[in-house]
Amino acid sequence: MSKHLKVALVDDDIPNTEVLRDFLIRNGYSHVDKYHDGESFLESLDRFDERAVVLDFDLSGGGELNGLEVLEAIKERSPNMHVVFFSGQDSLEVAVESLKNGADDYIVKSNAAFALVKTSLDKVYDIQVLKLSERRNQRISWIMAIGWMATIAGVALYFAGK
Amino acid sequence: MEIIERLSAGDPEKKKYYIRLFLDTLEPELANLKTADISVDQEPIRAILHKLKSQVQTIGAREAHAMMAEQEHHIKGGGRIDQAQLDETCRQLSDLIGDLQELLK
Repeated sequence: MSKHLKVALVDDDIPNTEVLRDFLIRNGYSHVDKYHDGESFLESLDRFDERAVVLDFDLSGGGELNGLEVLEAIKERSPNMHVVFFSGQDSLEVAVESLKNGADDYIVKSNAAFALVKTSLDKVYDIQVLKLSERRNQRISWIMAIGWMATIAGVALYFAGK
Repeated sequence: MEIIERLSAGDPEKKKYYIRLFLDTLEPELANLKTADISVDQEPIRAILHKLKSQVQTIGAREAHAMMAEQEHHIKGGGRIDQAQLDETCRQLSDLIGDLQELLK
């Protein structure tokens, strides 16, 4: 089943990004963008961006910014964006810092890492589906309430006219 | 290679494409490691090891990955690796590249 969650991968590791992208596409994520440095990703970002981001910490092979700096910029421009930190750093300090600064998840690159990234994105997708369904239900409730009010008003007018 | 096998799903061309992608990074970085001067600042060596370790892990070279991770961690913690350790990393990386090139034939 195709999942309508757009994903951005930000990692200077070209082969691994390509493999991860194919892995996610194979697992239902039809829209996966790749960026090999933080700067080009931030350029693509806007306030209403609904993508989930998989962000590496060490981006030194691509640009000047590291993952934490990119995370800070994301949270300034698009505070609701879901960010999954995906890093070769098994450093507690970086993990704590990223979570403190608004990352939703922190995954250390390992043998099982691709599957963990997918699981993390699946959670984001489920939340998004739930929010959409809540919004839809709210809209239906409003329409029904207006319908009832109109009916009551109609009945009241009918009896008032008698 | 498990992830590559799974993703290429029996498509030999796709598998070759992935292998070439990894070789494009591994080969030049092996050359950089071979010419690295261990007597000066080892930060450039650490950066190369950091870059390569994720890739060798994806390919499934666990021993090489463990060694690179340990050396990276050692340099990051302020330590230094010696020429014998660097040579061993280069040897393992060279073997891995040889195996990948073999798969392309």
